[in-house]
Amino acid sequence: MSGDGRVFGKRVPALSSRLRPAAEVELGYWGGPALVRGKRVLDLGCGDGRLALGVAPFAKEVTGTDPDAELIADARLRARDAGLRNARFDVGAGQSLRYADGAFEVVILSWTL
Amino acid sequence: MVDALREVHRVLAPRGVLVDARPDSRFLARAERRTTRGFQVFGNIRTSSVEMGNDRASDAAIARVVRDGLFRRSRPRRFWHRVPFDDLAELRKYLSEHLRFVKRAEWTVDAATRRRYAKDPFVIRRPVRYELLTKI
Repeated sequence: MSGDGRVFGKRVPALSSRLRPAAEVELGYWGGPALVRGKRVLDLGCGDGRLALGVAPFAKEVTGTDPDAELIADARLRARDAGLRNARFDVGAGQSLRYADGAFEVVILSWTL
Repeated sequence: MVDALREVHRVLAPRGVLVDARPDSRFLARAERRTTRGFQVFGNIRTSSVEMGNDRASDAAIARVVRDGLFRRSRPRRFWHRVPFDDLAELRKYLSEHLRFVKRAEWTVDAATRRRYAKDPFVIRRPVRYELLTKI
């Protein structure tokens, strides 16, 4: 839980993922693949991996994290089905990330904060 | 939220980039009918007061970490995203179940017009705000 009682990544139903912009559309607005090309990327509040999986083809590594274990299981399945070997997904909360200092060049909060 | 943003700052490499993208409640979403030549506005859709409050809290959290010298912000930008629906009934059902919007649109066309085109495809056009922040 965050300081004001909200839970990261759990406030919007998973179904809404299909109603959000495609990953390549969002990435395009943010500056395109150049933003993540060859970089280590963290998608915080990744849900079912909608954005992380769209970013993975351009990035060096993509890590998605979300407090919802079911969504993380979906994301892992989708990554496996897509043959993406540079994408990993962890269950976790944004307030206590279990990653080393300076582990990522880009952190994405897409429809999360 | 500030706690999470401090964690983001910790795991980011020097001069790393934080992308903050989320729906923008400063602007009304629109209910639009898809026509052969484009879109016709049928109504406005407000964000619920609870979500407006959450959005203000998110804005405040970003402002706090910028003020604390953790990030340098760029000018926020916005794009519009269309969510498609088969017909007006599907759009209404979506609104009735949606956590973010109020349950009913404020129609800008009369009831007869809504009935006449109820079977046409509709969209909700909603604003999305995004900002790239650089770790200091």
